[in-house]
Amino acid sequence: MKTLRILLLLATLGLPFGRAGIAENIVRDDINGIDLITLKTGVKNVVTIKGTLPLGHAASPVDNPALAMLTGSMLDKGTLKHDKFEIAQMLESVGAGLGFGVGTETLGINGKCLTKDVPLVISLIAEQLREPAFSPEEFEKVKKQYVGALKQALDNTNLQAADNFSRAVYPLGHPNRKTPTTEMIAAVERTTLDEVKAFYAEYYGPAHLTLILVGDVDSAAIESDVTKSFAGWAGGKLPETLDVVGGNLDTAREQTVFMADKTNVSVVWGQATGMRYSDPDALALRVGTDILGGGFSARLMGNVRDKEGLTYGIYGYMANDNLRDGDWRIWANFAPDLLDKGIESTRRQLNKWHNEGVTAEELADRISGLSGEYKVGLSTTDGMAGAILSALQRGYDLSWLDEYPAALSSLTLDQVNSAIKKYIDPDKMVLIKAGTVTDVTNK
Amino acid sequence: MKLRILHALLLAMLPFGATATPESVAVEGFSHVKTVGDVSEYVLDDNGLQVLLMTDDSAPVVTFMVTYRVGSRNEVTGTTGATHLLEHLMFKGTPNYNREKGNNIDQVLEAIGAQYNATTWLDRTNYYAQIGSEHLELYMAIEADRMRNLLLRDEDRQPEMTVVRNEFEIGENDPTQVLDKEMTAVAYLAHPYHHSTIGWRSDIEGVSIEKLQEFYNTFYWPDNSTVTIIGDFDPAEALGLVKKYYGAFLKAPHPIPQLYTVEPEQTGQRRVVVKKAGQLGVVGVAYKSPSARHPDQAALQVLGSILASGKNSRLYRALTDQSLTTDVSDYVGFFHDPSLFNLWANLAPGVTHEQVEKIIFEEVEKLKKDGVTQDEVTAAASKKLADIAFARDGSFNVASSINECIAAGDWTLYYTLEEDYGKVTPDDVKRVANRYLNEDQSVVGWFIPLVPAAE
Repeated sequence: MKTLRILLLLATLGLPFGRAGIAENIVRDDINGIDLITLKTGVKNVVTIKGTLPLGHAASPVDNPALAMLTGSMLDKGTLKHDKFEIAQMLESVGAGLGFGVGTETLGINGKCLTKDVPLVISLIAEQLREPAFSPEEFEKVKKQYVGALKQALDNTNLQAADNFSRAVYPLGHPNRKTPTTEMIAAVERTTLDEVKAFYAEYYGPAHLTLILVGDVDSAAIESDVTKSFAGWAGGKLPETLDVVGGNLDTAREQTVFMADKTNVSVVWGQATGMRYSDPDALALRVGTDILGGGFSARLMGNVRDKEGLTYGIYGYMANDNLRDGDWRIWANFAPDLLDKGIESTRRQLNKWHNEGVTAEELADRISGLSGEYKVGLSTTDGMAGAILSALQRGYDLSWLDEYPAALSSLTLDQVNSAIKKYIDPDKMVLIKAGTVTDVTNK
Repeated sequence: MKLRILHALLLAMLPFGATATPESVAVEGFSHVKTVGDVSEYVLDDNGLQVLLMTDDSAPVVTFMVTYRVGSRNEVTGTTGATHLLEHLMFKGTPNYNREKGNNIDQVLEAIGAQYNATTWLDRTNYYAQIGSEHLELYMAIEADRMRNLLLRDEDRQPEMTVVRNEFEIGENDPTQVLDKEMTAVAYLAHPYHHSTIGWRSDIEGVSIEKLQEFYNTFYWPDNSTVTIIGDFDPAEALGLVKKYYGAFLKAPHPIPQLYTVEPEQTGQRRVVVKKAGQLGVVGVAYKSPSARHPDQAALQVLGSILASGKNSRLYRALTDQSLTTDVSDYVGFFHDPSLFNLWANLAPGVTHEQVEKIIFEEVEKLKKDGVTQDEVTAAASKKLADIAFARDGSFNVASSINECIAAGDWTLYYTLEEDYGKVTPDDVKRVANRYLNEDQSVVGWFIPLVPAAE
């Protein structure tokens, strides 16, 4: 593969198909506190389901960072009505997929099925959310599997670089700050099933549940299915989060995470922005950043990779800012013996971009490209459902999906270059290197 | 009841908004070869270019893909990785489209918001873009141009070699990838599936521009490639564009070299051990399996799923559910030539390789002896059929699936495999398990972690 392309902006821009707006075709209902959204598209027989509850890692209490993860991991391990094998059999016999995943701030629900099986999948989402069995045997298995997954992550240079970066730019209590692996393993091992049950009882419920179904859907039938499956379920509480903002930590500006026997070094280099996706200047900075690091013809790939051959992949992007203030980062890979050269080349591009800004021609090209990317991205049910979910998480009304192209087109060169100057400061950035780096630096 | 479910799934396979077999179109210079399902095959008479068309107007988007029937199976010692390196150099420009002129393919495609890339695999190399339908001619012109007009300069090879080498290094970072690569190398003694597509490091570094030019001039011809167009377009207009841009090229002035090496029969189990820094062990088992076109392919795919896909799979119950592994998985090769049936198990902390390997072989033998249930077959076949349906969500997904069938040697596998899944019986699964899952034709691999990689 030429490269593993990160289409980070794909789900961030809105452009209807030119035939009808997206928002006017969306059906949205409040059912027992559940925000239910359906959209029929041209695809036949396939339905993508995405859902969220605000119960990701950030919902864990400060003294037990594993609690939200362990609770979410118990959802598909059997209910009061069916054990996990029976549930799997019901899904597998019709080829449907359904999973729950605990992310930074949300519990994600991801499903895919044929149209005829939507009622079954909705009923199983409801059953697993409402009636988890919390079997002691399954809980011990979940704990062991999670510890195994955490240990495997210690082998991954990308994850180690990103984890350490988060602790260098986000303060304690910030949702985007990752718990060190050793602390997380210890938390997993000491967590009891009673604590998980108590967490579930306090926070789980329909009050903040969002469900999105896109594809070959019948909105009225789905409304009926959701009403029936979730009838009588009550509760749901937003977890408390600390009012802390990323940035300005007293931390080493360069850090090395030494990992033996690695032939590639992962680099994360950046800073907290203090901005959410929906903040007024965020769009300008996002497009400016895309010109630096958004694709093959962006400055970083065009120079550090294409001209100098120093890396397989190098990107610049803004991250983790849907729900809270996020960060700006460059992510790159370098061979250990080309690491210093690669970082210097990157620094040249970063400084030039920061000092001189972007050009009018670059901006026009990127606006055109980003608009086209989203048009293409919305051609699958996954892409469309993801765009709707992202819009909601960012706090927008769904009309934003249609309004975005105009906002994008109205960006001026001055707005973009001013945002770069205002929010980005290369001198305050943190540089993390993870891999077999012999010159271990922490300064 | 089980059969009705399968039939319902099969009926649900109709892609996009298609409801009837499309009629072929008559465009001068093209011969209509056949129409299967919603895909019509044409050949450009003058140069033998194969063209596959499937229309869908559910979104104003089209995917254009060209597949060259050349992959790492066409490489030999000294040129391993050449197909992939050449794929990278295909983005360096032609006299008509290049960075100096400001119209390099990256610049053109990113300005229109294309999702585009290229991939290289054992049997093929493909180049593609998913774009707004209005851009079809723009992309086809630039894609066709590089079929025969690539610059292929050493000044481009040098920096790109280190780019590709870094891609190789990224792969080497992952212990499971390293183990897979070494198991495959041991499984094939003669056949070029022996080496991985990215090639050996020394070959990536050492292959000359002359060798790459030779490779390009041997394989990059219309009569060794297939153009696939899926999405919202007019078939007659699209064929007209194909003729305009690809009709400019002659067919290859030489026969396209055909691989004749056959892997000799394996007569005993082979074992591989990889020791590197890491946290948790891995056990892999690979059995010899037939080509994608073999009639047993569907039953083998179902067998793989029954063994290691999902919570109800045999190995999940025997290993992961017993806290012996963190997960298990299967990968049944779908390639032009005889391939590998792979089972993978990631060990849980404190569990030994011996323990997990023993259970894997016990479960395989149990299945060979006692067979499988109709419920297991129904669930596995349903998963495969649903995966096919899901892979028809969007024009790029369709083109990608067809691409692998082209590489396997018969694009109609895109439809026939789906039909075959509906016919698999428990007896079929037991039969193929006994035919192919033999220890003497297996490779066992262990990744043994030496020390903690990070803390």
